[in-house]
Amino acid sequence: MILSGLIFLPLVFALAICAWPQKNTIRHVALGFSVLEFLFSIAMLQRFDSTTAALQMVEKTAWIERFGISYFIGIDGISLMLVMLTTFLVPIIILASWNSVEEKLKGFFVSLFILQTAMLGTFLAMDAILFYVFWELSLVPMYFMIGIWGGTRRVYATIKFFIFTMSGSILMLLAIIFMMRLTPEVTGGAMSASLLDFYKLQIPFIAGEFFTAQTLLFFAFALAFAIKVPLFPLHTWLPDAHVEAPTPGSVILAGVMLKMGTYGFLRWVLPLFPEATQQYAWIFIALGVIGIIYGALVAMVQPDVKKLVAYSSVSHMGYIIIGLFVMNTYGLNGALYQMLNHGVSTGALFILIGMIYERTHSREISKYGGLASALPIFAIAFVIVTMSSIAVPMTNGFIGEFLILLGAFNYSPWVAALSVTGVVLGAAYMLWMIKRVFFGPAGEIVKNSAHDASHALLDLNIRELAVLAPLIILIFWMGIFPNHFMNYSKASVDYLVKNKMNYTLVINSEAK
Amino acid sequence: MNITFGLSDILLISPLIALFVFSLIPITIKVLRGNVEQSAAATTIEALIGLTLAAGLLIIFGGSGKTAFNGQLVFDGLTQWMGLIAVFSAAGALIMMYENPATKGSQFSELIFLAMNAIVGMLILVSAVDLLIIFIGLELMSLSLYLMIAMSHEQKISKEAAIKYFVLGSFASAIFLYGISFVFGTAGTINLLDLMDNSAQLIATNKLYLFGISFIVIGFCFKVSIAPFHAWTPDVYQGAPTPLTSFMATAVKTASFAAFLRVIATKSLIGSQNLFDVLQWLAVITMTVGNIAAIMQTNFKRTLAYSSISHSGYILIGVITAGISQNSAFSATSVIFYLIGYGLMTLGSFAIISMIEKNENSIVQTENLAGFAKNQPLLALCLTIFLLSLAGLPPTLGFFGKLYLFSSAVNEGLIWLALWGVINSVISVYYYLRPIVMMYMRDGDCDITDDLSYATIVVTVLAAALILILGLASGPLFQMIERSLT
Repeated sequence: MILSGLIFLPLVFALAICAWPQKNTIRHVALGFSVLEFLFSIAMLQRFDSTTAALQMVEKTAWIERFGISYFIGIDGISLMLVMLTTFLVPIIILASWNSVEEKLKGFFVSLFILQTAMLGTFLAMDAILFYVFWELSLVPMYFMIGIWGGTRRVYATIKFFIFTMSGSILMLLAIIFMMRLTPEVTGGAMSASLLDFYKLQIPFIAGEFFTAQTLLFFAFALAFAIKVPLFPLHTWLPDAHVEAPTPGSVILAGVMLKMGTYGFLRWVLPLFPEATQQYAWIFIALGVIGIIYGALVAMVQPDVKKLVAYSSVSHMGYIIIGLFVMNTYGLNGALYQMLNHGVSTGALFILIGMIYERTHSREISKYGGLASALPIFAIAFVIVTMSSIAVPMTNGFIGEFLILLGAFNYSPWVAALSVTGVVLGAAYMLWMIKRVFFGPAGEIVKNSAHDASHALLDLNIRELAVLAPLIILIFWMGIFPNHFMNYSKASVDYLVKNKMNYTLVINSEAK
Repeated sequence: MNITFGLSDILLISPLIALFVFSLIPITIKVLRGNVEQSAAATTIEALIGLTLAAGLLIIFGGSGKTAFNGQLVFDGLTQWMGLIAVFSAAGALIMMYENPATKGSQFSELIFLAMNAIVGMLILVSAVDLLIIFIGLELMSLSLYLMIAMSHEQKISKEAAIKYFVLGSFASAIFLYGISFVFGTAGTINLLDLMDNSAQLIATNKLYLFGISFIVIGFCFKVSIAPFHAWTPDVYQGAPTPLTSFMATAVKTASFAAFLRVIATKSLIGSQNLFDVLQWLAVITMTVGNIAAIMQTNFKRTLAYSSISHSGYILIGVITAGISQNSAFSATSVIFYLIGYGLMTLGSFAIISMIEKNENSIVQTENLAGFAKNQPLLALCLTIFLLSLAGLPPTLGFFGKLYLFSSAVNEGLIWLALWGVINSVISVYYYLRPIVMMYMRDGDCDITDDLSYATIVVTVLAAALILILGLASGPLFQMIERSLT
């Protein structure tokens, strides 16, 4: 019942918030709830057995028997850290949005908690239809978050986000239905939507032939996940969504929702369609490389800080895709680690941008300049997070990117060589942005604040420090002691690499 | 032919008798009082009692698989489920009629009389196994509807709709009847069960038989608005008073699809592969035309009319699979299941429009919905659920309906139809999201009218709740339907 509790507790919170009578304490209640959820996930972590690749804490009940669809959830090393990331980020988001979200508070927290349920469900579902239900469910609250609390072009951005994502996933639904039809081969007669039965399928594959079952299914799934990641050239919804989304929306989007795409590759595409993956990996690696360079180059010329970070996401997600598709231990470990890093550091960047936007109501880089003298503590925090984002050693980003590049080098030195340009470009655009915003001659905003008391800039307060402290601690912790985190996923990743051609999962019902 | 009938026949058609008797009560009272109506509430309550009674009798006697009147009417699982869907969605529409400004008022008892008789026609339609009986059911239903639309208090537009519906509907009926005459001329019988036995041979030898069958299919396509025979739908749905639109889009469509399904699923009746190929193309065209046209609409009712056309396309996929499949009970189940979901979400959306309409001539544009979420949070949430369900998003009933429908298509190897279905679902998302944008993301003063009692609100909330509950409990429901069909 632990995992069910983890998934549905936020839903209960959402209902409780609906019924909460006092408007002015609603933030405190929501924060309390989310912290409770995080503590609950820590308790789950204590019971997790990191020595095995087997599926743990499994719950399985028949749901729609006629189609072999069941309520089947479980956790292993691949999903564990993403679950932790989700529960960790939500309280931070609530604390970070303390002043930025003013209106329709109830609706906001209800959306946030339903979104949390959907995201956790996506990571934990082991049944294809259940997975799809949670996957699509996550669209709706995000749609409202961007659409109601977003910026000026929010409606355009949110509809684009919704339609892009749905157009990918609907083909996945068809692919799932098709695979359910194949399952009687391995279950002995009955249809099944269980992922474990899907793993057992030997889906016909003919090398070089495009119109074979496995290749088509591979692309149907891969398209859904590639849009979510987003992989170049399917990324165009992301900058719009990020720029228009309110800070909490951006953080969730960058921190967790993009990871749903990469998680999908890792959990579904790679093990289910091994031959097709091997044959077509080069496409994804090539697109990943293009994404890295393209994202970095476009980020460089953005006048808007938030858009810059959004494009840097495109660039960073390219690394993760490369790490996944090179299919070796380094690559996969790096990719999984980079998912967490990106969640932490890009999440932190969006929170920082939100903080400065609350003060100045501007994200134009050209209006800033000399901010470091006005807001020294803020500047320090921003620089630390930037270091993590551009993968300076001692920070978490370094470990992830280094492992991925190592994996890429094993696959082909050329891929590694091209990807490494992304590191250089990343350093270039981030540092250039830092220079323009924080240093140099005082810009319009800093000048205004000096003359006009109503525009005075205040440095970070206690609440904002409390938001940033856990993130910054995590940046160094993950950078200096990566094993504390990687140990949890090691067994699962090794097992996946070793058995990549005939991957199956076993259920381990006894947790430690 | 030896014609007898006894008590068992009467018991089987007792739902129809109950409906007819109850339809007479309000107008009889009106006549006895010297042309003075009783209160509208009393009329509605009498009608609802009649409908409840009919539903109860349908549950008790309906699903036995027996035939009445020498095999003219059959009461099997299909009859029972389709009948219940039609009766319940009609009940929802009746409640809306009670509160909508375009339908309540001086001639309410006549309107209810006609509506109840339309439902009698629907029950004949869902149970008929004889082509001529199907025709009688179709006409009883349609003629009542023509009148109902024409007698509403709206000004020009509903009269125009009534004429359009009448002319095109009669045309469709004529084609249908023409088809029957060919079938009778070539096969010598118009009973579906008798036709089954010798149709394979007839198709091979007699082209005129195929001609007749095709005309019958075209007649049905008119009634369920399959493109390219859909042209009347948007105008009529938009022009008719909203409760009647809801009545047409849910109950009438369900009953027509029931008969259509029965004709198609009668194995070997339509043994022609060509006809099935044509039907597949019609399904694809219908979905696409409905969705593309819906995107371009600004009137909310007209958008829903086109959305209803595209849903006919989805349902036609299920009907086709039921015709091709060896296990047609499975496909028929998915059709019935889809119609349950479709009925609930369409009824709910129209109920909301009906509540927003201030007087008999008000027009609800999509942009008029601005601000609805602020004034009516609960109803806005309900409409959101309806629209997301229409778009097929989990965990709503609409999603599971599509899942089962497309699974049955994939099971029969009709993957390309399922592919078109899912692509169309994405297209449809665009126009289903627009009202949600208006309600939640734009400022405005949209609100429901003041002089409402709570009846329509109850219907709406109930429909929304059922969409979520039945969505999550869709497995048992599906199995229940399937068991009753086999």
